[in-house]
Amino acid sequence: MKAGEGSSGKSDHRPAEKRTVDMQIISDWVEPGGKVLDLGCGRGIFLQYLTRKKNVFGVGVDVDANKITACLARGLNAYHGDLFGLMSRFSDRFFDRVICSRTLQELQHPADTVLEALRVGRFVTVGFVNNGYWKNRVSLFFRGRRVRNEVYPGKWHESRTIHPVSVTEFEEFCRDNNVRVVNRVFLAGDWRTRRRFLPTLFCGYAVFDLTLDADLQPGGGETAKPG
Amino acid sequence: MNDPESTVAAQDGEIGLVEYHDFVCERPFEFECERVIPSYQIRYETYGRLNASKTNAILICHALSGDHHCAGVHSLSDRKSGWWNNMIGPGKPIDTTRFFVICSNCLGGCQGSTGPASINPVDGKPYNLDFPFVTIRDMVRAQKVLMDHLGVNQLRAVVGGSMGGMQVLQWALEYPDFVRAIIPMATTSRQGSQTIAFNEVGRQAIMRDPEWKGGDYEQGEGPRVGLAIARMMAHITYLSDKGMERKFGRRLRGEASGGLSFDAAFEVESYLRHQGQSFINRFDANTYLYFTRALDYFDLSATHGSLEEAFSGMKARALIIGFTSDWLFPPEQNRMIVHAMLRAGKAASYAEVKMDFGHDSFLVDSPMLYQLVRAFLKEAAS
Repeated sequence: MKAGEGSSGKSDHRPAEKRTVDMQIISDWVEPGGKVLDLGCGRGIFLQYLTRKKNVFGVGVDVDANKITACLARGLNAYHGDLFGLMSRFSDRFFDRVICSRTLQELQHPADTVLEALRVGRFVTVGFVNNGYWKNRVSLFFRGRRVRNEVYPGKWHESRTIHPVSVTEFEEFCRDNNVRVVNRVFLAGDWRTRRRFLPTLFCGYAVFDLTLDADLQPGGGETAKPG
Repeated sequence: MNDPESTVAAQDGEIGLVEYHDFVCERPFEFECERVIPSYQIRYETYGRLNASKTNAILICHALSGDHHCAGVHSLSDRKSGWWNNMIGPGKPIDTTRFFVICSNCLGGCQGSTGPASINPVDGKPYNLDFPFVTIRDMVRAQKVLMDHLGVNQLRAVVGGSMGGMQVLQWALEYPDFVRAIIPMATTSRQGSQTIAFNEVGRQAIMRDPEWKGGDYEQGEGPRVGLAIARMMAHITYLSDKGMERKFGRRLRGEASGGLSFDAAFEVESYLRHQGQSFINRFDANTYLYFTRALDYFDLSATHGSLEEAFSGMKARALIIGFTSDWLFPPEQNRMIVHAMLRAGKAASYAEVKMDFGHDSFLVDSPMLYQLVRAFLKEAAS
């Protein structure tokens, strides 16, 4: 067994509890009855939650056939394949919301993925692990090595995180691409308690709600245009 | 296609002895081409029991060279069981202890259903080329008459690969309120140029055989050479480069190692010759012409304006399955079906099974394929 596999077993356990918090945050932003695309849907736990709670037309994408099977058993629409391959088949703003939760730092092309998601979705919800979290900094500063936890298990080459990103870096990405942040929630290192103070340092997990449209308001409404 | 040779007996229970039934419909059937036959027969098999509410039926649709015998054996001395015996049976992915499974020979076929070799009751002679052109939709409409005859109230699922997959799609469009779920696999919504081209070579091999006689050959005779060549060529399109390399490589037949000749020196050659020979003993050349034509004219986007439009009335949940090594109906053609269904706001899923057996992968033992079908049908049941 590789070093990373032992701790991934442990992490399967813990995020179940953590997941409920970001699931609740995101589902509060989801418009009832809309069309939702879940990038990296996994076993479909979140998509099923949204389908039941918000009555959405949900589509999940994943590259793992076993996860697709799990989604099918839940009665979800699941697409086995490449994120871009699927998104490119939809017209602009086909989806009310595209969700990219927990997978951003693991994507091969995270920036292109977010931008393509912003094309096919009116809103894009992005959740990611904040690489600027103080414990990460401390570990690198004092120990000269990356922190080891469930997000960064095992050795440097064993992590699924290939594009670590900090809150500061992500906000800069949004500014550079004229992406409007309509909502943001910062969770502490426990991924449960909300943190407002110095998120780039104290936030463990960040959830952003994005759009390209200047007029769109979360919840599906549009602001009245002046005059 | 529908070559049960590579079928591995699953560990679950076997369905055992089965027998076929003939449904004779004395009412006329009007084809899409507006021609009419006064009566017709559909040969079919069923496995399992129809429940009290008559809602647990699953219809299996066969491919070009397949038939109604998709599971079990007709006699205990049968060397081969039905063509999808690995998929259908007690405890298997299409579980005959839960579902009432029906499979019928397509209209236009040659395995017991009315087709070009059948006798035209009007003049007492075989139809031959006077048989009306049959379409995928005609096949499905005839199957619906059979469903009504069997007292089935709804189809829990319609499942099939290749030409069977086309029928599955057609079912969801033609009878949206009758079908709850569909599993088309290794198929397409629109027969492409390459597939039409292969079919044309097969048809030419048959029609240029002097024994074809304009379709008016006697039963038991006919264009045996042409049909065998058509089958040999088509069979290559059901396999894959990798699969053939692994199965045959460049291995020589034992007796052929002597010297250079045009005999079947390589194993792959003798395999294809065997495929051709066994095919002419069970398949009618005119049915081959009619069925390949039915495939060629299948184009849902053209028929409905666009693929989204085609699926706009669909109510069934869909699971479309593509196979990585299928170059006859490649994964992309299967994906396109799902893309259009999702764009039309329909419940659709796509799964791709990694297998090396080419187009015929859907007939081969595959835990992943079984797992997908099981999971999807499990949900369809709840």
